[in-house]
Parts: sequence; C-alpha cells; structure tokens
Amino acid sequence: MENYKLTINRFGGEPTCIIRLSDGAAISISLENTDYQAYLKWVEAGNTPEPADE
Amino acid sequence: MPSQSKLLGDLISAAGAVSVSGSNLVANTVANSAFQTGSVENYLSAQNLGFALRNRIINGDIRIDQRNAGASSTVVDGTYYLDRYKFYSSQASKYTVQQNAGSVTPPAGFSNYMGLTVTSAVSSLGSTDYFEFLHIIEGYNVADLDFGKSTAKTITLSFWIRSSVTGTYGGVIKNSDGTRGYIFTYAISSANTWEYKTITIAGDTSGTWLTTNGKGITLGFSIGMGSSYSTTPNVWQTTGADSATGATNLLATNGATWYITGVQLEKGSTATSFDYRPFGTELRLCQRYYFKDVPTNNYASFAMGSAYSATIAQIVYPHKVTMRTASPTVTVASVAVQSATTSTTGISTVAGTYPGPNSTLIELAVSGFTARNAVWLNTAASGASAFVSLDTEL
Repeated sequence: MENYKLTINRFGGEPTCIIRLSDGAAISISLENTDYQAYLKWVEAGNTPEPADE
Repeated sequence: MPSQSKLLGDLISAAGAVSVSGSNLVANTVANSAFQTGSVENYLSAQNLGFALRNRIINGDIRIDQRNAGASSTVVDGTYYLDRYKFYSSQASKYTVQQNAGSVTPPAGFSNYMGLTVTSAVSSLGSTDYFEFLHIIEGYNVADLDFGKSTAKTITLSFWIRSSVTGTYGGVIKNSDGTRGYIFTYAISSANTWEYKTITIAGDTSGTWLTTNGKGITLGFSIGMGSSYSTTPNVWQTTGADSATGATNLLATNGATWYITGVQLEKGSTATSFDYRPFGTELRLCQRYYFKDVPTNNYASFAMGSAYSATIAQIVYPHKVTMRTASPTVTVASVAVQSATTSTTGISTVAGTYPGPNSTLIELAVSGFTARNAVWLNTAASGASAFVSLDTEL
C-alpha cells in the first residue's frame, strides 16, 4: 500500500511538497498536480502520512 | 471551339475573382466561394504536401517514449507509458503496452506504433470494467475550436489501426469532467492488417470546455468497456460513457493485439495527411508535461547548486521547456551530489522541492558536506540508471 511523508519548508512558510515513499518522488502541494490529488484521496480514505524530518 | 483553359478563365472572370493567362491563374485573388470545402486540404493531402501544426495530438506517430524507451509495460490503472498516453485498467495485469510491440511493419510513412497485447483474458466484462487509454489535450491547444459555444468548430480524427480481432470498437471525445461526451465507433474489417480510419464530428455547442492549462479535450480509445460506461454512439451526450454499447471486447482473447499510429485530431471536416513534426519539436511538446533527463554517461552533469547544510544539498534544476504548471512531481534515481571535497552517491529519494514553471530547486539528503559550498548533481558511476524526471501531466 502506498505511503507518504510530510516535509518542512526550509525557507519558512508552508511546506511545498510531500514525499511518496514507494519511489521517493516529491509531489508538489497543488490541486493542479494529479499525484497530489491521489494523495488527498488517500488521506480521505483515512490514512495518515509519516511526519516530516526535523 | 475555345480551349478548356479559356472556358475556365471566362467562368472565373465572370465571377470577378481572378484572371487566367493560358492555363495559369495569375492573380492572387481567388474568391473563397470558388473553393469547395476541403478542396485545398484534399489537394495538399493527395500531393503529400504538408501544412504544419494542424494536429492537436502530441506524439501522434508514437515516436516518443521517455519513460520506458521502448520496453514493454504491464498496464497499471491511471498510468502514463508512451508520452501523452494515459492508460486505464479496472483489473490488474490484463494487458501490456509497448512501442512497436510485435515488431510488425508500420503503415507507409511511419516508423513507430503503439502496441497493446492482452496477457490475461477477461472473457466477460463486468458492468464497471474499463480498459482504455486517453490522450488529454491541454485547453490552451484547443481554445480556437470554440467547444461549448454556438460557434463550435467541426473536428476530424484520423488514425491507422491494426488488430488481431476484427469488430467494431469504440472511443470518446469528452470534456474535462466527462459531463459532455461523443462516442465514436470504427470497424476493423481485416485481422492483422493496417486500416486507415477517419471520423468527423460536429463540435459541441454545449457544456463547459476548458481553454486553460487544464484538460481541454480528451480523446479516448477503448479496448473493453463495461455496460455502465457504454452508450449510444454518434451523438453528444451527458452519460459519462467512454465507449459504445456492444463494442468489441479485445480482452476476451488472450494474446490479442491492437496497434495504432498516426493519430491526428484537427479542425475541419477533412482528414489531411499526417502532420509530421521534427523530432526535437515533438520531444519538446512532450516535455511540457513530462521529461526524463537520462544522461547515460558516467559522471555526466544534471545541474549545479550548493550545500544548505552538512546533510542537505539544494540543486537549481532548469526545466527543458516551460512546464504546464509550476507544481511538478519530481523523481530522481541513482543520482550523486558532489562538491570539491566530498560526494554522496546512489540518491533515489527527493527531500524537498521548491518549483517554478521554468526551474525547480531540488533538495537531496547528503552527508559530510560543508554549508554554502558549491555542489553539482551528476550520474557518478550510475550513468546507465541515473535520471531526474519532472511530471506535470494532466
């Protein structure tokens, strides 16, 4: 099953991406990104991403 | 008795549009009404004369396969394989897709085709089964067609098709959310023989059709569709269907093949000759949506950057072209970050991204670096497998 990990924004502000753990891809946090749309469905299904590294 | 050219000259002169000298038109003033609809296109097609940038399909002649470089892939639902073609499969591991699968001779004038092969039969489709692929055209590239307006333009789809299973197959032209769709059909009459198909469709005057960087017009080809997603063809409808009721189910036959090339969607009621574009042009068109940077050589460079800290490197990665959005999915494999004094190799996970439409700042986890030192991203000794890819597909 797919899993995701949150990230931090090193420049301050909101995170700009999440990590898809199956292939290590960084997915931009934007509704224009179809992979992010899939992530939102994954969260809606009751899943929780791993926290960001500090 | 007057010559034919004299008669033609008299006729045209009578229309007040042009003059004739001998057998030649000498003035550039032929009235539009002098031409039958499609006559110029037909003439140019008959003479194999191109006129460029008519085809709204990118990679219509299946030349570009950045993701798989010609390798066969088992279709996973909702996945792109050959550039710009997105595949769907309601059941896992039922068919494969490959550039030039089966190594048959393409139609004259083409060097490549896209081959689908059934690897596990679905003898009876469930009502909600779907096996198809889509080509989603960006709204900017179809804005002039005026879909959703009273001035909607007629479009013509053409393609070369070959299958081991004869029958009547279905496909669809639809809008971004599937609330407007036109099911078309075409017959494959002879098994394992290339056939050329043309389908002309009056533009849709209703519904919402995006003319932005979102989904403009979606073209779909079905090879097996359940009854819930099938309906009556040849009329604009709102059912959300993607194929025709009773269309042939390729999946019923294990080992069945279905090949396509020369896919063209153009404005007007005439299917013109295929709109060949230079390879570099076609590749760049594809790279607006996805690009895979594969240097191949060992120690080849991708881009430059600097160490943010001992454990994070930041690479400024320029895009090949302005991408569809400033929000890509970024993937790396087997890349290396190197400074004057140290390196970290075998990186296949991105730590973060800060994207724009023309470049993306990529963060990668490293070790032992000195903050603010210059670094560069390269293939190290993994030239055969290292890559960086950016994806903004629809």
